[in-house]
Amino acid sequence: MVTEKNLAASTVAIKKKKFIGSEAFWCYLMIAIPVIGFVVLHVYPIFWTFKWSFFSYYGVESTAKFIVLDNFKTFFTQDFTYWKAWGNTLIFALIKMPVEITFAMLLALALNKKMKGAGMFRAMYFLPNIISVAIVGLILSNMFSYNGIINNLFVKSGLLNENIDWFADKWHAFAMIIIGSVWSTFGVNVMYLLAALATVPEELYESAEIDGASKMRRFFSITLPLIAPVFQTILLLSLIGSLSVNEYIIVLTNGGPHGQTNTVMSYLYTKFVPGFADSANPQLGYGCAMSLVTTIIVACIAIFYNKFSNKMKNLY
Amino acid sequence: MRKKQVISNAVLYLFLIAVLIGTMFPLLYTVLASFKSNAEILTNPGSMLPKNPTVNNYVQAWTSDSFHVPTLLRNSVIYTLVNMFTTLLISSMAGYVFARGHFKFKKLIFYCFTALMFIKTGGITIYATFKVLSAVHLDRSLFALMVVHLFSIPIVNIYLIKGNVETIPTAIDEAAKIDGCSFVGVFFKIILPMLKPILATVAILAFNSSWNDYLMPNIFTLTAPGQRTLIVGLMALKSSGESAASWNLMLAGASIAMLPVLVAFAFCNKYFVKGIAAGAVKG
Repeated sequence: MVTEKNLAASTVAIKKKKFIGSEAFWCYLMIAIPVIGFVVLHVYPIFWTFKWSFFSYYGVESTAKFIVLDNFKTFFTQDFTYWKAWGNTLIFALIKMPVEITFAMLLALALNKKMKGAGMFRAMYFLPNIISVAIVGLILSNMFSYNGIINNLFVKSGLLNENIDWFADKWHAFAMIIIGSVWSTFGVNVMYLLAALATVPEELYESAEIDGASKMRRFFSITLPLIAPVFQTILLLSLIGSLSVNEYIIVLTNGGPHGQTNTVMSYLYTKFVPGFADSANPQLGYGCAMSLVTTIIVACIAIFYNKFSNKMKNLY
Repeated sequence: MRKKQVISNAVLYLFLIAVLIGTMFPLLYTVLASFKSNAEILTNPGSMLPKNPTVNNYVQAWTSDSFHVPTLLRNSVIYTLVNMFTTLLISSMAGYVFARGHFKFKKLIFYCFTALMFIKTGGITIYATFKVLSAVHLDRSLFALMVVHLFSIPIVNIYLIKGNVETIPTAIDEAAKIDGCSFVGVFFKIILPMLKPILATVAILAFNSSWNDYLMPNIFTLTAPGQRTLIVGLMALKSSGESAASWNLMLAGASIAMLPVLVAFAFCNKYFVKGIAAGAVKG
């Protein structure tokens, strides 16, 4: 900081230049577009959302009514579908994350052994990640359809007695959603974990082996503590990703059957966003109130997670 | 001991290969099924290989009116290329400024941009975006969305480029400045050419995300079906009444939509990997 100030001061002193044409001027100019975008497309919409959350607002300002906290009251006390969507989001995150991270960890540990073809495996596992979520939904809904290939394979192999309708009840739909979701994103976690494992020095394992530490012991006492910081980030990314899962749900089940697989974000989309909303003229004020609370909850979970995982790190 | 090693290696490979088959299966299924007739897709899903392979689906997709692939493809290509270019321009300049610039609100602005990663407003703010657009007399269209994209903040890419600029010794900038190069001149003449590898990574990530984009292009082309991108067109066909009768078209369309991404991945997979890995380790 001090050197920065000195530098700035001396530049001013020596060149006696005006602001226009100075380095700072060019800096501001080079980031002008994102800064304008930040104000216009992020800050303004947040204030906009805040303002209308106190109104009954159907998109026409002249008919908007100021109703103080009624929007919040309604959805805290009466609108259980929103809170059920939160329940679904947590179910999704709490099942998907452990399954996916454990699975990715096993694969990363296997691939980390410098075996032949490791690069090829890693690349292939990553493939579903780069495919459009919309297409993933399309493919899965074909494969899981009543006469689809999944039912066909399961019946043929004896895992199922007869075809099941994966889209007809909540738990079958959830099973499908989680299987598909793990399929489409585990590869990125394999990559993250491999990048983390590459930072652990080989010598540590060698000396531990000489000391007679078992494989399990080596994993929990060497690998895990050493990759803890990266692991923490991986979990945070996975958490945020799972909590804000949206597009994937919309294209695969569209929240069905009867909104039972809606997550919070897909619920908001299917209620209020044009092209996805079931009603042509939603009460936007209500949507603003919901979005506001949702944003705060997601941010709080992220902050809480950060605090909590820092404590965990200190424990190690 | 040696025998044990061989067995454990074999088990390991079996595990890896089983996962590999599971990973590739849906993609292979899609591509192979796109050569089946619609009747075969619906009645005989169990066999991977088409009985009577036909390219009819592709011909139909190329010529049909409701799902006109050439138009959709054109829109997708324009949308993707423009977004790639703007992302490269914005994120390389911002990355350089945040790494090298000296100005009053640098830290504050950077924190603000970063905080956006944790703010998920759930779509309702699209109405505020519409208001901004109508204030500057822009109708909802693919063009308007590209303008919105220009003004959005590619924070992950800014991080990638900032990190890369920081690895370049400042002595190089200073030497250039002594030779009379300005702050902007240093960027274009010295730094930018040295950033080629990371720019390739940013380009490929931007290409992938724009090509695959669905929600926003759908919202912005609701009233202008002629401007739909390939992904939006596919999804429109899926949610239309003729969905069950058009699986052949949809699977052919999905294969066409996957192709550029898969080709890009085949040739540039090291750039993909670099972007992803750097993202995790730096957090």
